[in-house]
Amino acid sequence: MGTMELNDGNLQTLTEFMRKTLDPDPSVRRPAEKFLESVEGNQNYPILLLTLLEKSQDNVIRVCAAVTFKNYIKRNWRIIEDEPNKISDPDRTTIKANIVNLMLSSPEQIQKQLSDAISIIGREDFPLKWPDLLTEMVTRFQSGDFHIINGVLRTAHSLFKRYRHEFKSNELWLEIKLVLDTFANPLTELFKATIELCQTHATDINALKILFSSLTLISKLFYSLNFQDLPEFFEDNMETWMSNFHNLLTLDNKLLQTDDEEEAGLLELLKSQICDNAALYAQKYDEEFQPYLPRFVTAIWNLLVSTGQEVKYDLLVSNAIQFLASVCERPHYKHLFEDQNTLTSICEKVIVPNMEFRSADEEAFEDNSEEYIRRDLEGSDIDTRRRAACDLVRGLCKFFEGPVTAIFSGYVNSMLGEYAKNPGVNWKHKDAAIYLVTSLASKAQTAKHGITQANELVNLTEFFVNHILTDLKSQNVNEFPVLKADAIKYVMIFRSQLPKEQLLQAVPLLVAHLQAESTVEHTYAAHALERLFTMRGPNNSTLITPAEMAPFTEQLLNNLFKALALPGSSENEYIMKAIMRSFSLLQEAIVSYIPTLIGQLTHKLLLVSKNPSKPHFNHYLFESLCLSIRITCKANTTTVGSFEEALFPVFTEILQNDVQEFVPYVFQVMSLLLEIHTSSIPNSYMALFPHLLQPVLWERTGNIPPLVRLLQAYLEKGGATIASSAADKIPGLLGVFQKLIASKANDHQGFYLMNSIIEHMPTESIVQYRKQIFILLFQRLQSSKTTKFIKSFMVFINLYGVKYGAIALQEIFDSIQPKMFGMVLEKIVIPEVQKVSGPVEKKICAVGITKILTECPAMIDTEYTKLWTPLLQALIGLFELPEDDSIPDDEHFIDIEDTPGYQTAFSQLAFAGKNEHDPIREVTSNPKILLAQSLHKLSTACPGRVPSMLSTSLNAEALQYLQGYLQAASVQLV
Amino acid sequence: MPTTSATDDRLSKFKNKGKEPSKLRERRIAECVELRKAAKNENFLKRRNITTLPEDADQSPELNTDNHEVTAITIEEVVGDVNSDCKERQTRGCQAARKLLSRECNPPLKEIVEAGLLSRFVEFLGRDDDPSLQFEAAWALTNIASGTSWHTQQVVEHGAVPAFISLLASPMLHISEQAVWALGNIAGDGPAYRDTLIECNVIPALLSRITPDTPVGYLRNLTWTLSNLCRNKNPFPPLSAVQQVLPSLIQLLHLSDQDILSDACWAVSYLTDGANDRIDIVVQTGIVPRLVSLMSFEALTVVTPALRSIGNIVSGSDIQTQVAIDAGVLSVLPSLMRHSKPSVQKEATWAVSNIAAGPAQQIQQLLTCGLLPPLIDLLRNGDFKTQREAVWAITNFTSGGTVEQVIQLVQSGGLEAILNLLTVKDSKTILVILDAINNLFMAAEKMGETDKLCLLVEELGGLDKIEMLQNHENDTVYRTAQALIEKFFTDEEPEGLQTDATEATDTTFAFKTQDVQKTFRF
Repeated sequence: MGTMELNDGNLQTLTEFMRKTLDPDPSVRRPAEKFLESVEGNQNYPILLLTLLEKSQDNVIRVCAAVTFKNYIKRNWRIIEDEPNKISDPDRTTIKANIVNLMLSSPEQIQKQLSDAISIIGREDFPLKWPDLLTEMVTRFQSGDFHIINGVLRTAHSLFKRYRHEFKSNELWLEIKLVLDTFANPLTELFKATIELCQTHATDINALKILFSSLTLISKLFYSLNFQDLPEFFEDNMETWMSNFHNLLTLDNKLLQTDDEEEAGLLELLKSQICDNAALYAQKYDEEFQPYLPRFVTAIWNLLVSTGQEVKYDLLVSNAIQFLASVCERPHYKHLFEDQNTLTSICEKVIVPNMEFRSADEEAFEDNSEEYIRRDLEGSDIDTRRRAACDLVRGLCKFFEGPVTAIFSGYVNSMLGEYAKNPGVNWKHKDAAIYLVTSLASKAQTAKHGITQANELVNLTEFFVNHILTDLKSQNVNEFPVLKADAIKYVMIFRSQLPKEQLLQAVPLLVAHLQAESTVEHTYAAHALERLFTMRGPNNSTLITPAEMAPFTEQLLNNLFKALALPGSSENEYIMKAIMRSFSLLQEAIVSYIPTLIGQLTHKLLLVSKNPSKPHFNHYLFESLCLSIRITCKANTTTVGSFEEALFPVFTEILQNDVQEFVPYVFQVMSLLLEIHTSSIPNSYMALFPHLLQPVLWERTGNIPPLVRLLQAYLEKGGATIASSAADKIPGLLGVFQKLIASKANDHQGFYLMNSIIEHMPTESIVQYRKQIFILLFQRLQSSKTTKFIKSFMVFINLYGVKYGAIALQEIFDSIQPKMFGMVLEKIVIPEVQKVSGPVEKKICAVGITKILTECPAMIDTEYTKLWTPLLQALIGLFELPEDDSIPDDEHFIDIEDTPGYQTAFSQLAFAGKNEHDPIREVTSNPKILLAQSLHKLSTACPGRVPSMLSTSLNAEALQYLQGYLQAASVQLV
Repeated sequence: MPTTSATDDRLSKFKNKGKEPSKLRERRIAECVELRKAAKNENFLKRRNITTLPEDADQSPELNTDNHEVTAITIEEVVGDVNSDCKERQTRGCQAARKLLSRECNPPLKEIVEAGLLSRFVEFLGRDDDPSLQFEAAWALTNIASGTSWHTQQVVEHGAVPAFISLLASPMLHISEQAVWALGNIAGDGPAYRDTLIECNVIPALLSRITPDTPVGYLRNLTWTLSNLCRNKNPFPPLSAVQQVLPSLIQLLHLSDQDILSDACWAVSYLTDGANDRIDIVVQTGIVPRLVSLMSFEALTVVTPALRSIGNIVSGSDIQTQVAIDAGVLSVLPSLMRHSKPSVQKEATWAVSNIAAGPAQQIQQLLTCGLLPPLIDLLRNGDFKTQREAVWAITNFTSGGTVEQVIQLVQSGGLEAILNLLTVKDSKTILVILDAINNLFMAAEKMGETDKLCLLVEELGGLDKIEMLQNHENDTVYRTAQALIEKFFTDEEPEGLQTDATEATDTTFAFKTQDVQKTFRF
């Protein structure tokens, strides 16, 4: 480690370079940054920075030095094992000796940086390597200077706040204990002193501001120090803390009220933290806190009653309501709420006001519809007042469902009455009434079904008929858009609770609302329709049938596509999803519209492919394309050509421009199209074939499953064509296989590809590569044998055996290495075959093993004979025993997501999905019978051998099963 | 750091399916650090003798019970008396010192030690010719030994241990009893002095005093001292000592005096608070049924240590746990789980959590004996510490239970109850709940009912809470929540392509094998 002298020359140099790091011109800035980095390894460098930030004449340089210092500490302070210590020990000592003083005497901008630096150092060194830090800090409490005191408190907060989330450990608790020993008492004294000062300075706004920031910080420290467990000290001093917290909650001071409507003021921040502190004690230290709790309930409730509607109070109000919500559902506090007057006033003064639609909500509804929808529909409203009020309703309903429902029914009626008197002025009352009914009625909810359990005391259907349907029926869809959105949402979330007739009545009205100008409104309409179309009736068919939709089909499709043209909704995912769902519901009813619609969809695709920005919208767009293709071609296969004609130009553009987000989709749609073809593979596809083998495409993880699927489709439809006209591409194809099986994550994809090659390529076209294929597999088996690989490997070798015969399999193994076949059977197949999963996969293995047992002379005549009975036993196990889904310990952290099936597991586009494919469907449908018949055949060829092998080592249970198969096949062994 | 590794254990378990059953058990970790007040219902490490003898009033009119007069005697006077050669003055000084040390508030322990009186007191212990001097000296030393470690150390370093052990054999019962008491204080100081006493053969000397005629009061003191000899870990008392004490302890456990039972149970609880071989020594004695019956004793002072002992035993091996089950522990636990004291509820639930960590047959016995309803009730309404134990019980249950058992748990409201606790302010508990949820999903997968469970979790408000945990400050918690969401609530793309040695040109991959290895071995 070099050294920089602590002299004026070096200070000057650093100052110059530091100034250059602020230069907007990168050609000046970058070299200066590089220079500073290059000298930071020198001893004294941090000391020079500290000197600069303390003494430089230029304020800009001081701040810059402070930031540089903090970043330097962040990068270098931690000592990492086996790496050099990047800061010299004398520098470390000097820094720790001076930094607290320096921080406290610096102006705020620098203080913040140094405070951060202290917590970074503290995280590493405190308490063991920095034992005097706390004492040094605590002595500053005596200073009486609240600029200094707040600096200390802020630093302490950043040091202690990790106690709120770390796991309990002896190390952590030792630290906390140490902190408590030095810190708890002075903190308590400071707390009391600060509160007294607040009284003496009650009229001095500047003093109050500083004192209240201190109180907030002290309250935060209280939370951190009390989080892990209730410390003895705080239990002994609970009276002091809690009675003061209680007083502060009830305190108001005109001077501290702010005019700002959005930003929370000091008073709000402090009270909000106190609510958190009370909630912590109520949740974790109930036994000790019980005597104080009722007082806090009253105080918090009064606080709620007297707090206004402004946004700045939101956090405080939602914290306060959450506190009440958590307390009211505890059996031993039930009595605090059960009085009818208490309940009424909580409902009236706490819940109802906080459910009101505020001007901020109105602004979001009009100008920021995405945010509004996210909050209102998708439940990202955790901290909102409405959500908190809703939670309180649910909490109260635990013990008081009847009375609460009765009280609210009165309110709902009076709010609806207000609305009826003058809808134009009082529409917000109806909004609140609907919200209240919703929160009161919903007891359990899922995205898939909406409300699944409702409060039986609320008559949902009656409310629907009298107050919801009326709004939906109004001729002007653009009048009272908020209420319309409320009504649509009501249908949507209560869909599982409303009778079908009501839903059918709502459908055409929802279709009409797709044309509303309000984004929220037409989005909700699309969403509601989409949800209704997913509902299931008896027999698992859709609740709403295509026949019932017939009168509205045209209108529905028209309005959905028109809605995409409304301002703000050109990439509206809810609408696109509704299009997809409508197609899926209506099936052949859409065929006649497809020629027009496919043009619109393709046009949309072309537009969004320029700049894909809404992944969900794009996904549903591709799903809709798939549905159009499937439904139309199901009715008439020959129409596939017209889809290709419409889509290929856009697809070509997407592939040529390499629109990464869309490429995997394109491959899936192409697979779907290709699979529809009944005759040989069209030339247009063959022209693309070489491009699909390009390494660059395979580098992207997302491409692999759809590309494998597409190549499988090529092989299925064009195995022969590839062999005859693109034989030079076969090594490239096998290269893809080689690439895939080398990866633990993708090896199963490699096997899918290889299985298709085996199944569909003419034998002679791949005969020359066979040996290499097996060598690659053996190499992988040798170097990294994972369960997933073994499962796929067994399926492959058995498929190979079925296709080319057991003898061919044995010969190729043994040609690579003598006795290889026996080793694979003994070490892999017999012990592991139980792990094979999937019906088709199991069947392939069963048939393959049957062939090995009965059609491979080496199994009877050579030393492999000793494996014959164990192999049969394993096969019977495969038939009869439950699947072995255990995985060795060291494999748990790889590929959890990939569950290999014979089919490509990747089905990102649900409607491009492939049907289950059984490559050996022609061999047999019942492998047990096949085994019996094959054994019978073997036994007649060499009489006496089979029964004797069976009797030597097959276990009794297996033998019993086997006899069952023989009986079922009506054969006997001789 | 034991707790850290325990956390790691749990984590490794979380991600692994084929785990060893022994790892499931949550053992009470040696808690060296406490933030809380010492628990009010634990028994005392050391006790000061502050009894006022009736004869004090009669025999010493000049030193009446009037505190004012007692304090009027100065330490200097005491020193003068004790150090004099006059027997009467010695006794008077000793007694005065003893009275000062027996004062309710601020007894002058340090002052007496610093006055250099200890060697004299120890010397007096050997004065078989003067029993009342012996008695006063023993009492004074007892009270000094009841102070801090430093005080106890002073007593021991002045040679009091062998003197007190000899004094045990005193024909005067009250003198022998005072020696028992003093030795109890010394043993209670910690493992070092405990073992010093054991090496000085304190145990046979103590046990020889247990006879059918020994008065109850004496036996109480003796039992307490024995319990201190069984107490403390790091290290545990030597096995030979444990073997020596156990038969008498068992004998004491069959008496009916509440104080004796309490201390004897505490002794057993210390002996069982260790590895399985330690537990085994106790279980082998056949005392488990008696301990189980003491769990239903009317006095809380007996119930608490009996419950603690059984809790320790069921944290042992499956066989040890089975002994407790066979002794009927499962029919006693439900009422303790509904006990009015939260601390009892918590200990009982802890025991349940360990039984739930056993094999499926033991879990079945939990079900059959109706432990699920009180357990779920505690999850809903118990205090936080009890809820935390109950969460462990659920997680252990879900990880070792059969699919049928797990279904029964969900149907009884167990899922809803743990989901509600996901907002609890304790990272570890949240993690344990997430572990339970993961276990439930594994059971659901086996039945092919993952979708159904997803819906149920969502309906019960759990999905919202798990999603919120993705913002949790604790890394492990948020990662675990994220993994759960990704695994069961979304269809994510597979990720992570490994780089490998396949050669590629611009247009295709090369298909070729490297040099064939000499031999393949799998």
